Amino acid sequence: MPVRTARLPVVALAAACAFAAAGPVKAQDVNVPILVPITGFLSIEGTSQRNGALLAVKNAPAGLKITAEVADTGVAPEVAVNALERALGRGKVQAVAASMLGTQMLAMLPVALENKVPLVTVSGTAQITEMNNPYVFRFFPGDDVTKVAHVKYAVEELGKKRVALIYQTTAYGQSGRTFILKNLEKMGLKPVFEEALETSVRDMSPVLGKAKAANPDVVLLHLHGPSTGLVIKQAAAMNLGLPIVAGSAMHQPHTAHLMEPAELKGVCAETSASPVSGGSPELDGFLAAYRKEFNAEPDGFALGQYDAVSMVLAAAAKGAKTAADVQKALATTTYKGLAMTYKSDGKGNMAHSAMIICYDGASRIPKIVKRYENITGVL
Amino acid sequence: MLTLQLLANGLALGAAYALCALGFVLVLNATGAVNFTQGDMVMAGGFAAIATAAMLAPLWPGAVPGLVVLPVVTAGMAVLGVIFSLFAYFPLKSRPPVATIISTIALGIVFQNAANAIWGPEPRAAPPLLDASLVRFGELAIPKQSLAVIVVAAALIAGQHLLFSRTPLGRKMRATAQDRTMAAAIGIDVNAMIALTFALATALAGAAGALLSNTFFVTPSDGTNYIVKAYIAVTIGGWGSIAGAVAGALLIALFEVIFPALPLIVPALFGSDALGWLFSQTAASILLYAVVLAILFFRPQGLFGELVQRRA
Repeated sequence: MPVRTARLPVVALAAACAFAAAGPVKAQDVNVPILVPITGFLSIEGTSQRNGALLAVKNAPAGLKITAEVADTGVAPEVAVNALERALGRGKVQAVAASMLGTQMLAMLPVALENKVPLVTVSGTAQITEMNNPYVFRFFPGDDVTKVAHVKYAVEELGKKRVALIYQTTAYGQSGRTFILKNLEKMGLKPVFEEALETSVRDMSPVLGKAKAANPDVVLLHLHGPSTGLVIKQAAAMNLGLPIVAGSAMHQPHTAHLMEPAELKGVCAETSASPVSGGSPELDGFLAAYRKEFNAEPDGFALGQYDAVSMVLAAAAKGAKTAADVQKALATTTYKGLAMTYKSDGKGNMAHSAMIICYDGASRIPKIVKRYENITGVL
Repeated sequence: MLTLQLLANGLALGAAYALCALGFVLVLNATGAVNFTQGDMVMAGGFAAIATAAMLAPLWPGAVPGLVVLPVVTAGMAVLGVIFSLFAYFPLKSRPPVATIISTIALGIVFQNAANAIWGPEPRAAPPLLDASLVRFGELAIPKQSLAVIVVAAALIAGQHLLFSRTPLGRKMRATAQDRTMAAAIGIDVNAMIALTFALATALAGAAGALLSNTFFVTPSDGTNYIVKAYIAVTIGGWGSIAGAVAGALLIALFEVIFPALPLIVPALFGSDALGWLFSQTAASILLYAVVLAILFFRPQGLFGELVQRRA
């Protein structure tokens, strides 16, 4: 060992001389367009995606010259397809940070397949990885993963058996309901109450009153952010007196900011990650950098997209020069991101873990109370 | 007890819807065109309340109550209403009403995107009118905010009624709404009256936004929901009928709150899955639109039956 240590300066000096003789090293060009919904009903999540991707570019490994143009895909599939075709038409693209809106992803997938360019996303729509398209990679756990954590926590950790389920009428809500029912059934349970809500419903007192009248011992929510906020706020106002385990919308900092900390007491939620909760020096670093760069609080979507683009850039730094190289790296390697360890299940599902966070009533920053690692067994 | 609690919730929601519908019908009567921006004005009022509270915060010990914010928002929105009319109505007033309709749709989209750019897409909550506590009457507990919303909205609706029925200015505004040509012929400044109508309508929408955004939050895309409610309220109440718009709005809100809660009020309805679905929020929504269709088929002049000229 001492001999090797002694030789290191010599080796470094020789390498430096060799580089100097060869002239300045040309940085490797990497083009990762960021095509996400910055306007429209998914603009909150899309903005998180954009911010996460941009931060990953900023923290990229040395030696890469990165182009990462942002384009707003709105909410229409054709706008997303146009944005993708424009980005691909401008030159060599290694990968695309793509919209989390399922309908846009489904429209972009054939274009990605035709051009053999990988799309990295945090879309939760199950169908996108069921199309036998090797160019899609999802860095966010789907309902098949998160709802296992959701139900297991309520039943096994809280010991509850009489579940009231309130979900949204949207595709997001229906998908969550399906997996919640499936997981409850595995445990021999059936909800004592369930009702779907449109996103336009404002007064939650009827649904909360009916849920309570069914005599449940826990309320599971699978709602978008504003509806989650309305239910929890009105449940606190009417002193519902039941534990609430919400869907991942609750973990988004702006949802928690709709309520006073006291109104959040006893509320828990499933999520892929909770960057504001910290937990490691790397996550704390991400949190500080995100706040400084965007003057906003990051959510799990921002962290998922950060990890996705970071994996692409790590592959490029290790020598992946073309879209095919990056696709191969995404499909075959394991990557330790900030939120979790990612590995493709062969269909492009990269995320296999989830966690439960809970609020203590004193702060809007949740605490991580339970981690469910490698739920699918892929890792 | 529960029925009273639900009734209070429904009345609070309906009172705020009524302010929006009232402004909608005032502009409809004054210009002959549907103002599709009215819902976005509710959204703008919500964000204006949040911005005003933030601006007043350094001058106010503790949290700024919504009761202080509300007059500022209402006045500011009235000014916005006049500016809005200068872009959406006056340049197009000699064109067919459909031109004004399109311009209000276009400006509504501008408002949505401007709100998105200024405040971001996240839902936000304005301060409560007084505070977030409950008022208890024995076992009955009603949020103070709900009661305050009912009282303030009732005062604004009554104020609008007094303005129109008891003041010379109100009579001029009504004359303009009834027949612009004849009003001009007797010396009324029709343009000023229409601008004032836009101011009043926008102020009422702004007040609705400030009242709703505490309990129900506000996002830049909320306007669509409110304009649909206003449109339905006016359809139920009768095109052009001010009283009908208020009654229609109250009916919608009570329907939204009371119908899905019927199994709680009548416990015999609780139990089977089929009945559960019948009284779900989804079924309530379907039934509401079915009722609107029935009114369009069988009583196109609306419940209040005011006959008005054909409008675009």
